[in-house]
Amino acid sequence: MLKAAYEWLDKRLDITPMWRDIADHEVPEHVNPAHHFSAFIYCFGGLTFFIVVIQILSGMFLTMYYVPDIENAWKSVDYLQNEIAFGQIVRGMHHWGASVSIVMLFLHTLRVFFTGSYKHPREFNWVIGMLLFFTMLGLGFTGYLLPWDNKAYFATKVGIEIAASVPVIGSALATFLQGGEVVGAQTLARFFALHVFFLPAALLGLMGAHFFLIRKQGISGPL
Amino acid sequence: MSEKESQRKPGMSRRRFLTYTIASTGGFLASGVLYPMIRFAVDPLLQKGTETEFEDVGPVEEFGKEPKKVEFFIKRKDGWYQKEGGEKATAWVLKIGGEILALSPICKHLGCTVKWEGGGFQNQFYCPCHGGLYTKDGINVPGTPPNAPLDTYETKVEGGRLLLGPIKQRGGGA
Amino acid sequence: MAHNHDGKDKQVHFVGDSRVARRNEKMVPKDYSEFPGKTEAFFPNFLLKEWMVAVVVLVGFMALVMAHEPPLGEQADPTNTGFLPVPDWYFLFLYELLKFKWASGPFVVIGTVVVPGLLFGGLLLAPWLDRGKERRPVKRPVSTGIALLSLLAIVVLTWVAWDEHEKQLASQPKGDSEDAKIVHPEDPAYEIYKNNACVNCHGQKLEGLQGPSLRGIGDAYTTEDILKIINEGKGQMPAGMFQGTEEEKRQLAEWLANQDPPEEKESQQ
Repeated sequence: MLKAAYEWLDKRLDITPMWRDIADHEVPEHVNPAHHFSAFIYCFGGLTFFIVVIQILSGMFLTMYYVPDIENAWKSVDYLQNEIAFGQIVRGMHHWGASVSIVMLFLHTLRVFFTGSYKHPREFNWVIGMLLFFTMLGLGFTGYLLPWDNKAYFATKVGIEIAASVPVIGSALATFLQGGEVVGAQTLARFFALHVFFLPAALLGLMGAHFFLIRKQGISGPL
Repeated sequence: MSEKESQRKPGMSRRRFLTYTIASTGGFLASGVLYPMIRFAVDPLLQKGTETEFEDVGPVEEFGKEPKKVEFFIKRKDGWYQKEGGEKATAWVLKIGGEILALSPICKHLGCTVKWEGGGFQNQFYCPCHGGLYTKDGINVPGTPPNAPLDTYETKVEGGRLLLGPIKQRGGGA
Repeated sequence: MAHNHDGKDKQVHFVGDSRVARRNEKMVPKDYSEFPGKTEAFFPNFLLKEWMVAVVVLVGFMALVMAHEPPLGEQADPTNTGFLPVPDWYFLFLYELLKFKWASGPFVVIGTVVVPGLLFGGLLLAPWLDRGKERRPVKRPVSTGIALLSLLAIVVLTWVAWDEHEKQLASQPKGDSEDAKIVHPEDPAYEIYKNNACVNCHGQKLEGLQGPSLRGIGDAYTTEDILKIINEGKGQMPAGMFQGTEEEKRQLAEWLANQDPPEEKESQQ
């Protein structure tokens, strides 16, 4: 039954070569921790992806309860964390996962840098990787405000003031981030939109490009 | 492949074994990640409704054979949100043979609000949306759109005052 | 070729509009013969190992999540002046950078644009700044050195910022964190407090009005310190505001010195 459905699709879309290409490509020994334990440093990229998947899933589930509104944001987070079964776990996954993903991303960047893997012909993928890094930092910054507690509020205020001190574009940038005249209702709505729609969209697009290039160029050789 | 198949030993091939192992590892990863989230999402299904408190709507003597409309406020917490002063609710209250009956005004057809002797119908509840009719004790009149009797509030008399509690559904219907 | 309806020949390719050139060579499967040693197929062999690693990480991660409740402080209050703002840990190094004299005030541009610009710009353009063919870190000392130095700087800045924040938190009377409750409100000293001028400036609930909050003041001062402040005044507070007896003054000071709620949580990190 499944097989028949697969063949029906395959005849029309010719999907076998697509997954065959991914499934059958040979993975060299020097990145395989089963051969050399030290090759675990090559795992950080994959682990970053894994944590990002956890972030996306837990974030999607959190929005089932969360409300981006200064009156209710804190109350809804308090409610989902303390009144809903596993609320503490799901919010914990998203909260701690944010830090863990930054750590993993950092370790991955260090691995790529110190193995010189960013060199010809992989320059472009390094640039995409750095853009991914910035996107993740942006997600961290915008997500920090959402629970609307004192820590979130004052950290964001400081962040926006730092943005404002950039010459020429500073005040425009700060107003763009802040949305209104104070860090308040409009800021929260905007940070929510950035955190939930814009930045994840950029993240997914960049990740797609990152993986495509890895597959296209292969992993860098042993040192 | 055919060559291999011919000399296949009983049991499974290495590739198949690896595939099964990977499927179970993936299953473990997915369930470890998804179990808390799904339990989190379906929590409302598994939560018991909160107890509705009984609200005072006035002295019992005020209510007679004729349905009387009362307005009262239910204190209900909707997640993290609680309306100040409570949510407004209404009931049609009447006495039938000494028993107090408090009917919810929500039509069982599509949820409009019914009115006693509305639309010129004597001695009946009338729903203006699709012309639903209910008798005095809230039983739906056959041949009109609703297919169940009006819900009732639980009632309680304390110290000569009428208290209304949670809504109860009545089965059957005409 | 195309019209082969017997369903057995899976090599049929319906390319449709033949203006799209059909490529016959395989897309990538790279030749890994340049790598010595064993290679293995991505699926299932290698992926299984990757996922084993993921299982270990997931178990550790979930242990972390279950052990530590995600912090949620009090609801944001823009009028709260006692709150020590601190960014998330991965921005701490930037935050610390802005405290340097040469990176703040008139030179703030250095802190907000030049240094981060050099850091992130350098990272972004690394492939063009370091164009040599050599990949081993030891054989390209310049880029390795710069990277290690920046790394060290980031670690040190983060550590200093964190340390400073901890010290500030410790020195601040915890009264400014909203978690602090009045300790022993049933104590008669609270009545003494309310019947004196104290209440006018420090508030009914020690929350602070014109004067600072007194909640958690026991963390910062001893009974003797408090007595001294009551007697001699401090800042805007004039001396000799207390109208009661010496006995009552002593009682009040002892009670205030006990204002160090032990249930104080890590709400301010």
